[in-house]
Amino acid sequence: MIFLEQVIAILWKDVRYELRSKQMWTGMGLFALLVLVIFNFTFDLRVDNVAAIAPGALWVAFVFASLLGLGRTIAAEREIGSMDRLLLCPVDRKAIYLAKLLGNMLFIGVVEIVALPIFAALFNVPLFVGALLPIVLLSTLGIAAVGTLFSAMAAATRARELLLPILVFPLIVPIVIGAVRATGTLLAPAVNEPPWLGLIAAFDVIFLTVSMLTFEYVIEE
Amino acid sequence: MQGFIYLVSAYAIVWVGLFAYLAVIMMRIRGVRTELAAVQELVREQQEKPTTS
Amino acid sequence: MALANRDTQTKHRDTRMGTPGQHKNTRPPIASLALLTLTFIGMMTSIFMIFLYVPTDAIEGIPQRIFYFHVPIAWIGMLAFGVLAVASIGYLWKKDERWDWLARASAEVGTIFITLALITGSIWGRTTWGTWWTWDARLTTTLILWFIYIGYMMLRGYMGRTPASARSGAVLAIVGVIDVPIIYESVNWWRTLHPQAEVGTPGALPPEVVLTLMISLVTFTLLYSFLMVQIYQLQKMQALAQQLHADIE
Repeated sequence: MIFLEQVIAILWKDVRYELRSKQMWTGMGLFALLVLVIFNFTFDLRVDNVAAIAPGALWVAFVFASLLGLGRTIAAEREIGSMDRLLLCPVDRKAIYLAKLLGNMLFIGVVEIVALPIFAALFNVPLFVGALLPIVLLSTLGIAAVGTLFSAMAAATRARELLLPILVFPLIVPIVIGAVRATGTLLAPAVNEPPWLGLIAAFDVIFLTVSMLTFEYVIEE
Repeated sequence: MQGFIYLVSAYAIVWVGLFAYLAVIMMRIRGVRTELAAVQELVREQQEKPTTS
Repeated sequence: MALANRDTQTKHRDTRMGTPGQHKNTRPPIASLALLTLTFIGMMTSIFMIFLYVPTDAIEGIPQRIFYFHVPIAWIGMLAFGVLAVASIGYLWKKDERWDWLARASAEVGTIFITLALITGSIWGRTTWGTWWTWDARLTTTLILWFIYIGYMMLRGYMGRTPASARSGAVLAIVGVIDVPIIYESVNWWRTLHPQAEVGTPGALPPEVVLTLMISLVTFTLLYSFLMVQIYQLQKMQALAQQLHADIE
């Protein structure tokens, strides 16, 4: 099987498995919405400063929801032991990583798609501005790239739900800064903004590469 | 005077911290040495007995 | 006092073949004692220079002397991370457990140093700009580095003393070392939008300051080396003990 076929095969298997269990989806979605609502109470949102707070609220919701979802496939697989069987097959470890990554991105992406319109409504911000899609896409890719790698690591431990955020949060700081600033610039254009999207893209390229190369070391028992 | 207090407390924290850490290291080394000696004793005993283990 | 020395001569191969180490011939801990003595001398010299030699800073006054401890401690904290990264690459490449001992040692010592750097930096900041903390690039990155160190220690702690643990730790360290410059730059960009009082001493430094700083740096490097030797030997002994336990069962 060539590389791409391997990726698609594993991905398809994961997607079918996820489609069967709806709990994660609804859980993540509700969680994201709750974070948005709580932000409304924690910050004094008047019309004039909504543009300052809203991007932050959105990305806090996305990041936390992502971390909830990131642990799922690998932890679940370790529990049923299908990861071991997968590792026995002569499948390229990079393919496993890519499949997990794409699966995670699909998963998080669905939650984002649902949360975005509600976010726009709650915070009364104009949503479907052109450049929003690349920002969300590239940022999610970055978070998922790092998160997939570390969820494989943390899955081997007992305290995986605790350990995964501790490991991932510090490392995705550039993405968080970039995503919030980029979204903020969309809503309230400013001059002399650094190229945040470029930063996120560079981050993605670097850590996609590093994760693909190091994944094999992390996944073997 | 205020600045002097800050200065002293900064240096004090560093020194206390480093010495405390050093003390912890010493204790750990001693602990491992004891454990190692105990395990090596066990290994030696096992070797002396020609058991079917 | 329990200094690490080379008395545990047994290599793993020996124990697997069943040769228990008869090391009553405990060699004096030369490396440890030498480093400790040098560190002591250096520390005495540094203290003298910091408090009696260097002139008081015109702007900041007496508390500025914290700088002579804070900066070397922070640098060593960064150095330790670099060593951790190199040791991690070494372990993944050579698969030799000794690289992992080096990595764990540097992670532990580095965590201590970064913690002290944050504390001294915070106190120094309080005296200089009146706040205990400010989100500038250097301080923020140091804080993130602290979290990465802690994450590493937690990961290794949870995963125990296994090859899988070593590999995972190594990957974390490598990802971390690549990420830290990116984090620094991104925080820098973020900060240029809110320019505030900048950290650090502007302009050229007088020669006494540079000399004292250098001596202090050398002292802390010696201290780092001394601590590394201790922890490395500690790791080695712990690995050996674990190995022997496994052999017995």
